Amino acid sequence: MTKLAKIFISTILIIFLGSWVSAETIGPGGESATPSSEIVVGNDLVASIQAGNYTAALLWHDQSDFVNAVTAGARDEFTRLGIEVVAVTSAGFDAAKQRNDIETSLARNPSIILSLPLDPVTSAAAFEEAKDAGVALTFLSNLPSGYKHPDDYAAIVTDDLFEMGKQAADALAASMDNSGTVGWIYHDAAYYVTNQRDNAFKTTIENDYPDITIVAEQGISDPARAEEIANAMLLKNPDIGGIYVTWAGPAEGVLAVLRANGNDTTKIVTLDLSEPIALDMVRGGNVVAIIADEAYELGRAMAASAALDLMGEVVPPFIVAPAITVNADNILEGWNQSLNIDPPSSVVSAAQN
Amino acid sequence: MEGSYLFSKRLNLQKNLIYFGFLGIFLFFAITLYNDGFLTTRNLTNIVLQTAPATIMAIGLVFVLSSGEIDLSFGSIVAVSALTTALVLQSAPLIMGIMAGLGAGLAIGFFNGILVAYLRLPSFLVTLATMGLFAGIARSMTNLRSIPVLNDTFTGIFGSGKLFSIPSLVIWTILAVLIGHIVYRHTRFGAHILAVGDNARAAQVSGISVARVRLYALTLCGGLAGLAGMLYAGRLQAAKYTLGESDLMTVIAAVIVGGTALYGGKGSIIGALFGSLMMGMLNNGLILMGLDVSDQMIVRGVIILLAVALSLRNFNRI
Repeated sequence: MTKLAKIFISTILIIFLGSWVSAETIGPGGESATPSSEIVVGNDLVASIQAGNYTAALLWHDQSDFVNAVTAGARDEFTRLGIEVVAVTSAGFDAAKQRNDIETSLARNPSIILSLPLDPVTSAAAFEEAKDAGVALTFLSNLPSGYKHPDDYAAIVTDDLFEMGKQAADALAASMDNSGTVGWIYHDAAYYVTNQRDNAFKTTIENDYPDITIVAEQGISDPARAEEIANAMLLKNPDIGGIYVTWAGPAEGVLAVLRANGNDTTKIVTLDLSEPIALDMVRGGNVVAIIADEAYELGRAMAASAALDLMGEVVPPFIVAPAITVNADNILEGWNQSLNIDPPSSVVSAAQN
Repeated sequence: MEGSYLFSKRLNLQKNLIYFGFLGIFLFFAITLYNDGFLTTRNLTNIVLQTAPATIMAIGLVFVLSSGEIDLSFGSIVAVSALTTALVLQSAPLIMGIMAGLGAGLAIGFFNGILVAYLRLPSFLVTLATMGLFAGIARSMTNLRSIPVLNDTFTGIFGSGKLFSIPSLVIWTILAVLIGHIVYRHTRFGAHILAVGDNARAAQVSGISVARVRLYALTLCGGLAGLAGMLYAGRLQAAKYTLGESDLMTVIAAVIVGGTALYGGKGSIIGALFGSLMMGMLNNGLILMGLDVSDQMIVRGVIILLAVALSLRNFNRI
């Protein structure tokens, strides 16, 4: 084989493998993913963005540590670029309020809107006015139905959702020595983010861990019902080795049930950081790992992609920020890497003891 | 004489608290947000459009509270009606969709009314239960999916359309307030509502069917919540189980601030309109001020607390 042929085949393999890895998390419209690290506003553009006197509105779906970290990432990037944030809202998961927030913020004529559309159907009409006004729209995780890139929006930025589910499966499997039984508590709603993460966990367990069996599957839509669900699951499967819980809120309920039953053998893995969950993990309790996203990086990438769009640069349609497996050993760095803040003092002192 | 004059002047001030409060908040935002788009026609129109469903729910609640009862389920009725309309419109003509949505609201209101008026169950507990019941039904109706509304005539009439350049949501608000006010102030039914709410036993003795009045009040509240659900569906061009879920506290606050007594016998439809507009204006102005979400909630909470405290103080004095 000639040297040229070797280089050619190597290049093809790299491209193929690269696309295979990033294609695991796919966009709502089947778009392949671009790592957020590639979305950077170069110094050559900063001066012209600063001269544009641009403004931005951050119209979030809810309030949480996650949203605060995304906001911080976006604000810092906007500050670097000289873009003023003129409105910040929270819709409290209410589609009608989200529409109101969009209309209200438009009175300030923002050049950019960063938002998480609550669901594709209701947000299609809600963002219509902003779209028609030529606002650079960058969406977090969800896309309004019928919106086309690049005419209607700059980009969708989200977590590497498949990787989050996969890392959850890997962490739980490792804690169970790759064998045993698990329960799968998934989000029972048509919601792109949690659906992809939950299914990635299940797919990974089924494909990569032949000695692990999913013996119980239960959907959850109201986190307050986590305890009932966990109770029923443990009643039917008292020897269950591990439980995957779709996010930290309901995982707190599952943990409470395990504690109440004196069960210190069943392992828990969940997604998104939470103080009670992290505290249990650091103290060597049931929780073995929390899979987190880089929320601050999500915000930075959203701000950068919107600014690039304003400058007429080509922005990839679907951008993903990396996932992190946080365990007792890396809790301090992991928390900061995810949320850009130090862990709660209770977690810090437990980790140091 | 002078004391009595001053007292009556003060009474007028307290009676009209909502209007002074509304004006004060409007002037505050008009001055502080003068350059930030608050006074633009588009923004002021938005406030009315955004509050239209809450205003219509508030009118229903004025009738129920005035009769001495309460309805906590209207938020769930909104979701059920919106989803019913959206589902029916997928395969049936416009009129069927409207009748289904309105019918669902009236039927749930009637169901509440039967339990309260004829089975003598406390309305607080009945509607607390039906709030959960119909929230669950709304979730299961479409398996948590949102249903698009693609009927342009419907979205025009109930959402984005205009008649003589007036947005349809503004027309619905005006119609509901006018009709509500006339029924409340100038009909026998309105008088019976107030009489029952003021003193049910006295009303019964004077020949008023207390049970029937309560049944009608709760049915009307359900019907208006159904209409609010259709306005949401028209405005969003879609229906979702979460619609109306977060309106309960806003609407109750709007009604109380607007001069309706929590324990019956007194109320105001026009006051409820201004209460609802005040809530919408607060949301709007605090966002335009660029406050963080937590700060918006704190300021809104303090203002509502002040307004409710002053309104209730008003009742205590009278």
